[in-house]
Amino acid sequence: MSEARIEIDNLVVRYGDVPAVKGVSLVVGQGEHVTLLGPSGCGKTTTLRAIAGLEEPSGGTIRIAGTTVYSAAERRNVPAEKRGVSMVFQSYAVWPHMSVFDNVAYGLRVRHLPREEIQREVDRALDLVQMRNFATRSAALLSGGQQQRVALARAVAFSPTVLLFDEPLSNLDAKLRAEMRVELRDLQRRLGVTSVYVTHDQEEALAISDRVVVMNVGGIEQIGTPEDIYNRPKTRFVADFVGSANLIAGKLRDGASGPGPVGFDAGGGITLHAWAAHAPRGGEDHVAIRTAYIEMAAGAPNGRANVIAGTVRQRLFSGDFIQYIVDWPAGRLTVRRPPTEMFDEGAAITVSFAPEHCVLLEN
Amino acid sequence: MLRGADRARWLPSSQTAATLAIVIFCGGLVLYPLVYLVMESLNTGEPDVFPPGEYGVNNYLDLIDDWHILANTAFVACFATAMAVAIGFLAAWTLTRTQVPFRAQLERLMELPYYMTPLVGALAWSILAAPHNGFVNQLWHVTGATGDLVDIYSPFGIAWVMALFEGTVAFVMISAAMKSMDPALEEGARVLGAGKWRTMLTVTLPLVMPGVLGATVFVFAEMLGSFAAAFVLGLPARYVVVTTALWEAVQSFPPDYPRAAAMGIALFAVMFGTLSLYRWMVRQGNFATITGKAFRPRRMAMGRLAWVLFAGCIAYVVVAVVLPLSALLLTSFQRFATVILSQSELTLANYRTALGFGAVRSALTNSLILGIGVATVGVAIMTVLVWIIYRSRAPGHSLVEYVVMFPQAVPRMVFGLALLWAWLNIPIPIYGTLWLLALAYFTVLLPLGVRTLAGVVLQIDKSLEECARVCGASWFYQLRTVTMPLLRPGIAAAWLLVFIASVRELGVSIFLVSPNAKVIAPSIISSWLSSSSELSAALALIQTAAVFVALIVLLRATRRYSGELP
Repeated sequence: MSEARIEIDNLVVRYGDVPAVKGVSLVVGQGEHVTLLGPSGCGKTTTLRAIAGLEEPSGGTIRIAGTTVYSAAERRNVPAEKRGVSMVFQSYAVWPHMSVFDNVAYGLRVRHLPREEIQREVDRALDLVQMRNFATRSAALLSGGQQQRVALARAVAFSPTVLLFDEPLSNLDAKLRAEMRVELRDLQRRLGVTSVYVTHDQEEALAISDRVVVMNVGGIEQIGTPEDIYNRPKTRFVADFVGSANLIAGKLRDGASGPGPVGFDAGGGITLHAWAAHAPRGGEDHVAIRTAYIEMAAGAPNGRANVIAGTVRQRLFSGDFIQYIVDWPAGRLTVRRPPTEMFDEGAAITVSFAPEHCVLLEN
Repeated sequence: MLRGADRARWLPSSQTAATLAIVIFCGGLVLYPLVYLVMESLNTGEPDVFPPGEYGVNNYLDLIDDWHILANTAFVACFATAMAVAIGFLAAWTLTRTQVPFRAQLERLMELPYYMTPLVGALAWSILAAPHNGFVNQLWHVTGATGDLVDIYSPFGIAWVMALFEGTVAFVMISAAMKSMDPALEEGARVLGAGKWRTMLTVTLPLVMPGVLGATVFVFAEMLGSFAAAFVLGLPARYVVVTTALWEAVQSFPPDYPRAAAMGIALFAVMFGTLSLYRWMVRQGNFATITGKAFRPRRMAMGRLAWVLFAGCIAYVVVAVVLPLSALLLTSFQRFATVILSQSELTLANYRTALGFGAVRSALTNSLILGIGVATVGVAIMTVLVWIIYRSRAPGHSLVEYVVMFPQAVPRMVFGLALLWAWLNIPIPIYGTLWLLALAYFTVLLPLGVRTLAGVVLQIDKSLEECARVCGASWFYQLRTVTMPLLRPGIAAAWLLVFIASVRELGVSIFLVSPNAKVIAPSIISSWLSSSSELSAALALIQTAAVFVALIVLLRATRRYSGELP
């Protein structure tokens, strides 16, 4: 990570007496693309709006490009228009009473740039989103996908220091959303602009981010690269919310020091070889195993670690994968296998997984 | 950078101050006169002395002796409400649930009666159906028959005219309820084997019932406070309701203010109770199946019956608008009103009097001045109010909403009386001037203007404004380039609606006009009292024309806007 672009320290935002964001701290590097991911009401949008200056926090500090834009201690709150950030709104917020060109030129006109420069920058921005042919069209006559592109062009036209995205793809249909995801990632790499992105769609978050910040009830659960978040979830919430995982209750074996391999007593008298990414405190009572990381084979266990007998209870064919519900000594296990691996319901099988995929969760 | 911090601290307090000032100002405008009226209603001493020398509840006890007035009021209001809701329900069902031909055009036509005032309607129907010389009875006599075919000067006549003009209100409210019902609920019944009529009776009707009940209660409250029809059609036959009794008490010599005040407060209490019931019903969970979302209802094919329904809608528009306006038009060009054209003496004299005769002409000019003035200044203030209510986070903004909407619960006549009494006793010399009328109009039209503007403000996505700020625009630049252009159609609509409502205002005006400050609706009343139905017809048509011109401008303006926003 290179030099910091956005530094948030102990941010608190309240709506009346209800705290929406409770002490969030986060640093975003130059050119980095960070995504705030979480269920609705987790404070991700509020955090984003506080960065933009649209929400007044009640505590903490926010610095953008080295300048303090909000500080509770100094009683400083720079208004939104002076922060030099740009934002793409969930509803696009494309002004219906203006043409596409006027929409995109808005930020440039506010800054009193010369005519030719405005023309050049608007053209460049519209080219980026392939909307140049629509420049003279009234914005009210655009489809949802086109409005989305105009909103994007408008946000990048005045070369902001920081780009904020508030669930920009949530109003598009699934196919268009997948296309725009690819385009956004591409655009973001080409511009090299620092961006913060808010979404509740975990697939989207994993696909387009350098780092993902998982939030829940106003606080941060985990920060990490998409691979980190997926492979090493820290908490039950992260394991459950991102991807699909089996949460297995049990007890950490005594004497575990870490980080590293630990023993974990699951129900039914089985001991799992698990992995702790943190130094265990001793009270941990859950491990998580991704449904995709569990292998299945016919036959009986061979005595190796984490190879356990089970019975196929139910098979759900989903096309891209098959989902099995497997009865095993510790209860039930959900397993996703490629459609090439077929087992009949009722078949006796073994399940197996690598110790580093059996992740000890923090309490 | 510190400037930003200072402003952040300064803004909320200035908003709070503005909110407080507006609450006090509007609250004063509304409540202060009512306090005067309550005091006067308790006056048992000398009627003209204020503040009263003796207090007591005798004025209220006297109302019990006038039980026939209360009974009359209740009878007319109930009967008219039943008719209005029947009209509204049938029309709403026809237009939202069946494949009636020319549906879109019909829907527009059905709104027309709203822009005819009850006063104009009552005048027209008295010309049409008065005993002896009403047009219908004239024709009846030509056939050689004796006696009268119809008599509009009766409780049924009053209820008929009131129902015609409230029917469209019921229609709008009930069709809103029907439009917001998920058609899947009806389709479910059809799929399970229920026929058209069974579906309507077992699914549609129970689901829209809360909407229908709400409309019934609302219309009933309006009926209680209505004056014009009871005045024009009730007094000739000495059929007195509360509003007309109130008027007579003030007009008597010497004016019996305590009695009028007691009647007014009693009427206000009943209407307030009824409207509270309405609000309570709307808030109840009864509407659980009816979401806020607008659905595209699927309409039933009705076969030949569709044309019967079509004819029904047309018939309503004919009796509520076409027939009355034609009667007025014919009368206004005659020396003596007659429908037998061979006896007719055509003349322009009535219009010459209306536009040339000093008193009448000044009433017309005054109405226009008031309409334009109140609309312009009023809508500017209302815009600020709406912003405070729906966009600011200042404490007390919900109180502002309550205060602003309060005049809706006060019958116009009662508010007019309260203002009359209040300003007679306040040593600020605006009684008898247009200023008092302007103040009164502003107060009673607050709910109308604010509701219209709120509809537009609430539709504007907040992020449209926020985006401008993030793009670097200052608050003023944002207002100029984003907020105002988006609000413009709403402001235009509010301006025109307030203008229309001012030009046709009667209930408040009737107590506040003076020889130096006449306006049109009370002038129509006085010309009617001096038994010139021909001059009244001309005046009523001029008033209606002003309203319809404004209406056409309004439709143009809103259509152009909706063309931009698909």
